[in-house]
Amino acid sequence: MNPAFATAPDSLPRPPLLSVNGLRKHFPLKGGLFGRTTGVVRAVDGVSFDVAEGETLGIVGESGCGKSTTARLLVDLITPDDGQILLESRRLGVDLDVRELRRHVQMVFQDSYASLNPRLTMEDAIAFGPRVNGMPAAKATALAHELLAKVGLEPRRFAGRYPHELSGGQRQRVNIARALAFSPKIVILDEAVSALDKSVEAQVLNLLADLKKELGLTYIFISHDLNVVRYISDRVMVMYLGEVAEIGPVETLYAKPTHPYTRALLAAMPSMDPDRRTEEAPLSGDPPNPINPPSGCRFHPRCKAAESVCSTGSPGLFVLPSERHLVACHAAIPGSGHSLAEMPA
Amino acid sequence: MTTPLVEMKDVTVRFHGARTVHAVNGVNLTLMPGETLSILGESGSGKSVTLKTLLRLLPENRTQIGGEVRVAGADVLSLDGRALANHRGGVVSMIFQDPMLALDPVYTIGDQIAEAVMRHEGISRQAGLARALDMLTRVRIPSPERRMKAYPHEMSGGMRQRAMIALALACRPKLLLADEPTTALDATVQIQILLLLRELQREFGMAMIFVTHDIGVAVEVSDRIAVMYAGEFVETGTVRQIIREPRHPYTKGLLAANLHGAVKGERLDAIPGAPPALETKPTACSFAPRCLVRQDGCETGRPPVANFDPGRMVRCVHAVEPAMA
Repeated sequence: MNPAFATAPDSLPRPPLLSVNGLRKHFPLKGGLFGRTTGVVRAVDGVSFDVAEGETLGIVGESGCGKSTTARLLVDLITPDDGQILLESRRLGVDLDVRELRRHVQMVFQDSYASLNPRLTMEDAIAFGPRVNGMPAAKATALAHELLAKVGLEPRRFAGRYPHELSGGQRQRVNIARALAFSPKIVILDEAVSALDKSVEAQVLNLLADLKKELGLTYIFISHDLNVVRYISDRVMVMYLGEVAEIGPVETLYAKPTHPYTRALLAAMPSMDPDRRTEEAPLSGDPPNPINPPSGCRFHPRCKAAESVCSTGSPGLFVLPSERHLVACHAAIPGSGHSLAEMPA
Repeated sequence: MTTPLVEMKDVTVRFHGARTVHAVNGVNLTLMPGETLSILGESGSGKSVTLKTLLRLLPENRTQIGGEVRVAGADVLSLDGRALANHRGGVVSMIFQDPMLALDPVYTIGDQIAEAVMRHEGISRQAGLARALDMLTRVRIPSPERRMKAYPHEMSGGMRQRAMIALALACRPKLLLADEPTTALDATVQIQILLLLRELQREFGMAMIFVTHDIGVAVEVSDRIAVMYAGEFVETGTVRQIIREPRHPYTKGLLAANLHGAVKGERLDAIPGAPPALETKPTACSFAPRCLVRQDGCETGRPPVANFDPGRMVRCVHAVEPAMA
């Protein structure tokens, strides 16, 4: 390492590796006569967050909350309607182009089979990206073999195989290897271990931990499994109907969830204690549809603590006194007018 | 002494075709009326096949079933014609992971439930519709009168799951088979369905066999758990015994992989390798190739079966050791 960097003063706060401001994506619903727009799915509606270098940010929420849309927006698989994406303070579309963004931010999807071209062998699948980006074929193949070994698949046995000749866990290892082919800074794992059997999932989680340490990676880990998210994440972001409900350090969030929705999600986890089984469901009904989200706080129709202020004003993210813990709930914002909120000092 | 509702003795299921698969290899199971058993296992362990055997849902021409299966006194393997039709839906009913596949898309929910009851109980259409409405109310579908006329695609995932439960229970079966019914649901909906099933079971006094890969779900719904691996039960016991004193290395591995209480930053005790392909009948311990505590003999001979009490069984050489690390 260059000694000049090693002695760089720590006093300067480093800018976040990835910064997202006011990200918004609405999908128009076409229908009726002449395919007119009949509604709008507010998939992601004003989402902002930072990811620091070397951390793992977990994103949780139920179907339709916008967690996968957020992931896709981050690598420009879909184009946002509004908002900024900054990688190392460089703004996408201004001084950062999509090609470069994708070199630094890679993604692994849930369906390991659909992610791979059925007609490419594993070494070709991994070498494809680097070759398209100008790497000589022989070098790209050598890189593919190196990456296969890195994810625990012996290159001699696996390089020439096709996707259908591998198990789900092995295919997901190949997808991880392929994501690493560009030496990315950030890897987005969108339900990447959810389809795997539990025993295989644990193996892949160990692999992810090893790779992170070895390569200094930053992860954005999207999952519906709160046990897995707790294990792997440094910070967790809870989403509800296209908005951020709460974001904070993992232990704070699990020990002291502040948003009523976060509390409900945690209470809905099946008990592991046969003597203390769940007696009451924390929420009734299904998560609502993001087509016509409720006014004010989007959670208010299902919230036990909802008051009139909750249906009129959107709470916005409020920074709690404890460090780096933000919550969008009127009951937690002093002076919001909610009876549970503190009076402003 | 009450007679068991379900008795499976040394049941084997083998599929023929392009290749042979020994899906179930000697399952023994006894279930009392009103009891809930969870079969816990990973994909390909034979848990769904075991359930389908109880309903004879497996394709006849490619399946060879051995052993003995008795449900409510009837010999399930020799049922046919009318008797089999009455068995399915009348005595034993099943719910699935995907309600869209279990419900008929071109009939309303009310009609589907009414039809099933009319067929099984020979009652009038009006009485059938009345039963359908009663069932929709019991599974707590909001505004059930309106939902009677709804088609499956008009309902949300959680609501469809409730409708499928209503359909399955409409004829008051003695046994409900549940094949991962909450796996596709969101967390806050899953717990609602689990609580509903627990409640309906008490209300109707039916027995339930619940297949899942999620230990937490098994703890929430069942009295007993059978851990299945490569077509065999490797450990059975009460929920408390399985959670607190697991004896089979595979059960221990599954509990660790659940990550409940896993310490951040520590490596997980992952079970290495992958389950076997089951192309031949097991001649040794099926788990031995992945087992971290295997010893001489594990890979050459069948493991001993240790029966501690009725219902507590462990298929492992280590099971009989008093204190096992």
